[in-house]
Amino acid sequence: MPAFLRSRLSRRSFMAGSATVLTVAIRLPALAQNTPPPAPNRHPAAFIRIAPDGKVTFLLPTVEMGQGTQTGQAQVLAEELGVDIRSVAIAVPTQPQPEYRIHLFNQMRSVGSYGMRYWHDPLRRAGAQARMMLVQAAADRLGVEPASLTVSDGMVIHAATNRRVPYGQLTEAAARLTPLAEPVFIPANQRRYSGQRIARLDTMEKITGRATFGIDVTMEDLLHGAVKLGPVYRAEVDAIDDAKARAMPGVIAVVPAPRGAVVVARSWWQAKQAADALEIRWKPTPHDTLSSALIDAQLRAGLDRADVPPSLVRGDAGGALQNAARIVEADYAVPFLAHVCMEPITCTARTTAGRIELWMPTQGHDEVRMTLERALRIPAEQLFINSTFLGGGFGRKTDGESAIQAILASRAVGGRPVKVIWSREDDVQQGHYRQTMMARLRAVLDTEGRISAMSIRVAGPQMGRNLGIPVTNNIDPFSLLGLVDMRYQIPNLRIDHAVVDLPVPMRPWRSIAHSFTGFFLESFMDECARAAGRDPLDFRKAHLAGQPRMLAVLDRVAQMSGWSTPAPAGVSRGIAVVDSYGSPVAEVVELRMVNGQPRVERVHAAIDCGRAINPGQVETQIQGSVIEALGAALRLQITLKDGRAEQSNFGDYPILRIDEVPEISVSIIETGSPLGGVGEPGVPPLAPAMVNAIQAANGKRVRALPVLEKLG
Amino acid sequence: MIRFNLNGRDLALDVDGQTPLLWALRDTAGLTGTKYGCGQAACGACSVHVNDEPVRSCALPVSEVAGQRVLTIEGLGATQLHVVQRAWAELDVAQCGYCQSGQIMVAAALLATTRNPSDAEIEAAMSGVLCRCGTYARIRAAIKRAAELA
Repeated sequence: MPAFLRSRLSRRSFMAGSATVLTVAIRLPALAQNTPPPAPNRHPAAFIRIAPDGKVTFLLPTVEMGQGTQTGQAQVLAEELGVDIRSVAIAVPTQPQPEYRIHLFNQMRSVGSYGMRYWHDPLRRAGAQARMMLVQAAADRLGVEPASLTVSDGMVIHAATNRRVPYGQLTEAAARLTPLAEPVFIPANQRRYSGQRIARLDTMEKITGRATFGIDVTMEDLLHGAVKLGPVYRAEVDAIDDAKARAMPGVIAVVPAPRGAVVVARSWWQAKQAADALEIRWKPTPHDTLSSALIDAQLRAGLDRADVPPSLVRGDAGGALQNAARIVEADYAVPFLAHVCMEPITCTARTTAGRIELWMPTQGHDEVRMTLERALRIPAEQLFINSTFLGGGFGRKTDGESAIQAILASRAVGGRPVKVIWSREDDVQQGHYRQTMMARLRAVLDTEGRISAMSIRVAGPQMGRNLGIPVTNNIDPFSLLGLVDMRYQIPNLRIDHAVVDLPVPMRPWRSIAHSFTGFFLESFMDECARAAGRDPLDFRKAHLAGQPRMLAVLDRVAQMSGWSTPAPAGVSRGIAVVDSYGSPVAEVVELRMVNGQPRVERVHAAIDCGRAINPGQVETQIQGSVIEALGAALRLQITLKDGRAEQSNFGDYPILRIDEVPEISVSIIETGSPLGGVGEPGVPPLAPAMVNAIQAANGKRVRALPVLEKLG
Repeated sequence: MIRFNLNGRDLALDVDGQTPLLWALRDTAGLTGTKYGCGQAACGACSVHVNDEPVRSCALPVSEVAGQRVLTIEGLGATQLHVVQRAWAELDVAQCGYCQSGQIMVAAALLATTRNPSDAEIEAAMSGVLCRCGTYARIRAAIKRAAELA
């Protein structure tokens, strides 16, 4: 199949009233070759619709959780289509058809910083194809050559005769045309949206309180649900005494659900009061005595195991390490992290015969579908997921647990809609954490002070298997990305993963494996640089031959931070660089030690994301990533005792406040590389750059996070 | 029945007086612009004005606003955008947007009493409102911009 959409689909006409709507299917990269076309009786999966009134609707499977993707996608579409960006409406499909799936997961899932890099090219092509069909239709109508026509703000214009035809009048004729396989794109020097600092399309809704998040969904007959779930992960209910709860004001039902119960009431506050009054006895589990100390001991034992199969072998690292006179060696550790999206976990369900309707802030449409198929035997064709804005996602909102709760609750009240909201305490304590991991890195330095061999042992759970993603060749990408694909040129390298199964539900956190592999590797590179007596920047560059993008972000951040000149008195600097999601990012942290604790004053960040579709959004994503990573590295962790989380709310899980954030400067490098992700790559370099700066300040090497606890 | 003035209109809510103002606003009055974040006045997402003072509605029983004036995000820019909202739009502050109602309400209260707030005054007023996306730099800049626009 050429780089082109299937004409059978793209020529489909949709009848909207009596008028014809032009639809153009978007060919999905990677999947199109081996995915059969959608059945003729179904709408093409991803498409642009232009209605006779000129309104453009763009159906695409990426939700908006703050990352700005929907604005970016609208920029690309509006650019090529030749319409005012404000005339573009974006809708998220309600059923996760195969055509919406991104690779790696093979799921419809808003994750992995894929929003722009995955959808940009097909979207741009479809926009250009639609424009050229509209232009051809106008040329036919006006009896002129297409080359004599231009487009602007949803009009085809024949300048010579000053005639203008709105797109809405051309859709019927255009829908009968076949799209060009290789449409002509808008030249770079004529772009008005793509690459510009365009204001977000959702800003006005979000500053007036009108934006509908999942928690805001409202409809006729709506009831409210609060949950009470077992404090120990995976504990099942033994017995429920709900007499007191049922007698409380507003309570309508107490509904058993996996791991606990949902109380349905007329308001959420009533439901929550009654849920707290439920008396539930849980069955004992093997994890009732689980603690962070026990988990740490298991992970440390994993570091020492002798029977771990390799995940990557290059040269003979084992031999080199055995024969080396001098080895640099260090162990690192990261804790569980909660996501604490400002909008807590929520789902609204309405259940009628043959139709389950959800309203949900979800990143994981296919995971929700699969979970409901498995847990409640709901056929996919009966499930409709209405996506709302997400009040933050960060990888947390991909599961279907709250959907199960909402559906069971709705069924228990005769199908009436029920909105289930978890309390903040539920959110912090009920798992789905970023995994805790440890690593042992060992390296041999040659006589020129370069790393000739390195071994990396990672110990911890396999997040991928936890998510149902098959692990092949001992490489779990959710544990090892950032290591098995490291950019450093090291002739002898061995990487393996001592798998330690944990009963705690886990879920990726912003930047997934890079959130800890970046910390392991970039801390260790600094330790090796010190052992070699080299400047940390020069040492990294010496191992990055043939990696121009890595070198470019390092050079840029060095320039931004004045790396080659001494820092002001009392200020120390640390550097790190990580290539994740297609975008290398280098960061320099500048900090001062005050009473033995680091005070980060400034962070410089340089990113090469190929091309910034919206530089203002790239900047704010990197700033947000730095703040998130800094708060986590400084003082955030979930610890377990007696099988349950010890933290419960923002008091003991204190994300950073406005008076605690450094100045963050961002520089974007555009060198014509392929489009990279933006939402996540700013996270990984921050923690290592900070601990590297701490060592530069006081000689202490912090090898476990969070920093403030480990510094004592 | 709890009677108070909400966004310029007198109303009576049939709700238990111990219900936090937040849930009375959201589930009874139907105004969902004010958000739940922590339930213990620790995050500021639920901030509204009571008699022009910023308060955390999640920890305030609705009975305590009887006879008082309550202003929410829906009422702040009801006729035309408040100067804080204009600055927020100009600087494109929001990311996920969930905390922004609270941020804007607290910023508006700050500017009502402090015409040109210093960095320290901004930090003192705003440090109780958490933003998980890390929009703090733009919040700071937008408050300064709002002071210019006012």
